[in-house]
Amino acid sequence: MKVKPVNHAKAAEAFIEDTAHMDFHDERLWDLRQKRDGQMHILPEWQELRARASAIKEHTLANLPEYLEQFEANAKKNGIHVHWAADGAEHNRIVGEILEKHGAKSLIKSKSMVTEECCMREYLEPRGVVVTETDLGERIQQLDNQMPSHIVVPAVHKLIPDVAKIFAEHYHTDPNDNSAQSLAWQQRLAARPVILSADAGMTGGNFVVAETGSFVVCTNEGNADLSATVPGLHIATIGIERLVPRMADMGVFIRMLSRSALGSPITQYTTHFRGPQKGSEMHVVLVDNGRSHRLGMEEFWTSLKCIRCGACMNTCPVYRRSGGLSYGAVYSGPIGAIIDPTFNERKYSTLPFASTMNGSCTNVCPVKINIHDQLYKWRRVLAEHHELPFVKREVMYMAGKLMGQPSLYRAAINGTEVALSTMPRFVLYNWLNPWGKHRELPHPVKQTFHGWYKQNRLKTKKKEGEGA
Amino acid sequence: MSTSRDAILTRLRDNRPDPKAHPLPPVARLGDMDNGQARFENSLQLLGGQVLERQEGDTLATAIARRFPDSKIICSAVPDFDGTIRIEELGTPQQAASVDVLVVRSPFGIAEMGSIYLSEAQLKDLNSAAHLTQHIVVILSAKNLTANMHTAYMDRPEFHTANYGVLMSGPSATADIQGVLVRGAQGVRTLSVWWED
Repeated sequence: MKVKPVNHAKAAEAFIEDTAHMDFHDERLWDLRQKRDGQMHILPEWQELRARASAIKEHTLANLPEYLEQFEANAKKNGIHVHWAADGAEHNRIVGEILEKHGAKSLIKSKSMVTEECCMREYLEPRGVVVTETDLGERIQQLDNQMPSHIVVPAVHKLIPDVAKIFAEHYHTDPNDNSAQSLAWQQRLAARPVILSADAGMTGGNFVVAETGSFVVCTNEGNADLSATVPGLHIATIGIERLVPRMADMGVFIRMLSRSALGSPITQYTTHFRGPQKGSEMHVVLVDNGRSHRLGMEEFWTSLKCIRCGACMNTCPVYRRSGGLSYGAVYSGPIGAIIDPTFNERKYSTLPFASTMNGSCTNVCPVKINIHDQLYKWRRVLAEHHELPFVKREVMYMAGKLMGQPSLYRAAINGTEVALSTMPRFVLYNWLNPWGKHRELPHPVKQTFHGWYKQNRLKTKKKEGEGA
Repeated sequence: MSTSRDAILTRLRDNRPDPKAHPLPPVARLGDMDNGQARFENSLQLLGGQVLERQEGDTLATAIARRFPDSKIICSAVPDFDGTIRIEELGTPQQAASVDVLVVRSPFGIAEMGSIYLSEAQLKDLNSAAHLTQHIVVILSAKNLTANMHTAYMDRPEFHTANYGVLMSGPSATADIQGVLVRGAQGVRTLSVWWED
C-alpha cells in the first residue's frame, strides 16, 4: 500500500483554530529567537564562529569513515563498547540485547531524537522494559502519548493547564495547579525514585570527539547526568554525523549551541563522557539510519552538519504558527522539512512546502546550512518525482509557463487586477486556491510596478539619455 | 566485525564529498580573553549560580551554616572541610540521594560561562553525588579561571584524561512548562561558589 503524505496544512489548521495555544507558541519561540539575537550581538566573532563550525563539520563529513574508525579505536581503548546500527530496527535490537544481558527491566533516559527516529520505546516496552523519559518536556510528551513537537523544547505547544491535567492523571497531583514551579517540582519528586531504582540509563550525544573517543552531552535539567551516573549501565545512542575531529573544536560548537537554541550562553550541564565510571559499563550505539545515504545527495548532504539547536524552528513563521506536531514527523520545522524527505520521500513530500522561503532559517543556522535553498531544491526534486498534489502541480506548471515569458506574465498580472476587483468571491476563494483559506487576497492595485516604471522612469531615463 | 559496521563505512566512502575540497581549519583561540573573577561572577549569576557570601571571620563551615540553616547532611569531598559525612563513606547513589549539601573543589572555572568543572577525581568516583545532592558548594580559586571555551578546551588536560567530566553552569534548570524558567529542576537546586583566595 502506498503511504499517504502528511497533511501538514490540515493539521496546522487545527492548531491555528486554538488561538490561545497558537499565540503563546508563536510568542514563546519568537522570544527564544530574540534572546538568541541578544547573545549573538555580544560576540563580535559570531560570524567567524559560524564559518568555522561549518568548515569543521563539512571536513568531518567528507572524512567521516576515518573519523568514525578513530573514534571507535579510542573509545574501545577507554573501555567503551561500540556498536553500529544500520537502521532503527538494528539499533533497537542492540539496545534490547544489552538490557537483556544485564537483566535490566527499567530504563531511564534523557532526550534523544535518534531514539525517537528508531521508535525505541515502542520496541522495548512490549519486551517488558519500562522506559521512562526523564527530561520534563519529553516526559510530558510521553505521558500524553505524543511525539516531541520541538527538538529542544518538546512540549512547547502546551500550556500550564495542559500539563496540570496530564500530571493529575499520571502523578495524582492537583489538576488545577497553575504554577510551572510546582509542576516542575512534581516531576522531580516523581522522577527521583524511578531514577534511583533504574537498572539502566540512556542518553543521546550532541558531539562525538574522534581524537579522545569521547562524547559530549548538553542539557539543562540534570536528568541526563542522573541517567548516566546513577545506574551501573549507560547506553548512549548517537547519530554517526555527530563527530568532530578534535577536543579543541568543541569550543566553537559549545559557544554557539545554547546561544542559538535558547539564547542562554551555555547549557547548565555540558558533560564529557570518555569512558565508564568505576564499576560500570558504557555502550555507544552509532546509528546510521539513512545518514550514509544522505551523504551522497549532492544538494542535501550538508543538512548532516545540523547540531540540533532548533534556531531555524524558533525563527520560522510557518513553524511558529503551525506547531511541531503538524509536521507528522520526528523532526519538524525547516530542518525537519529538509531531512524528513530523506527518510520517506512520499510521506514527507508536503513538508518542503511549509515555508515562506524568507530565508530566516538559513540566517540563524549556526553551522550555515542553506536550509531555504534546500527547501526549494526539495520542491523541485519532489516535482520531478511526481510527489506533488494535483492542484499544486497544475498551478506550478501554469506559473512556470507564465514566469518563463515576461510578456505573458505582464499580461496576466494586469489581468489579475481586473480579476480581483470584478470576480465574485467563490471564483477567487475555492479549493484551487488553498492560499486564500485563511487569508484575504491582496487588494488589486490600480497600476503594476512595471506599468508605473514604463510610464515614469523609462521616460525620464530616455530624456536624460537624450540630453547627454 | 559487525557487518553493519563495514556496510556503513563502505557506503560513507562511496557517498562522501571530495575530502580534498573540505580541509580542516586550524584550531582557533577566539573571543574575549578576560579570565578575571568579575567576569566569572557575572556569568555565574546570569546562569543562576551564586557566590557564597563571606562575612568577616567566616570559615566555609560558618558560611554554609548561614546559607543552608536547615541542612542535616553536609557531605565533604575535600580534605580541608569536615561536613557531617565524607563522600568516601557514601557507598552508592542511593545513599548519596540523602545529601543536602555537597562540598567539592573544582580544578578550574570558565570566566565566559561561569562554569565549574568536576570529574571523577574530585567526586571520588561517585559522580552521581554531584547531581543527587540538593545543593552544591564548589570551592574554586580565582587563579584557576580560564577565559573562555576555546582556552578551556585547548589548555585543560582534564578533557583528555577524565572518564567523566562535567561543566556545571549554575544549578539545574528547566523552562519546559509554558516557558517559565525554573531554577532547580532535577539536579542540584542551587550552586554556590566559595572563593578560596
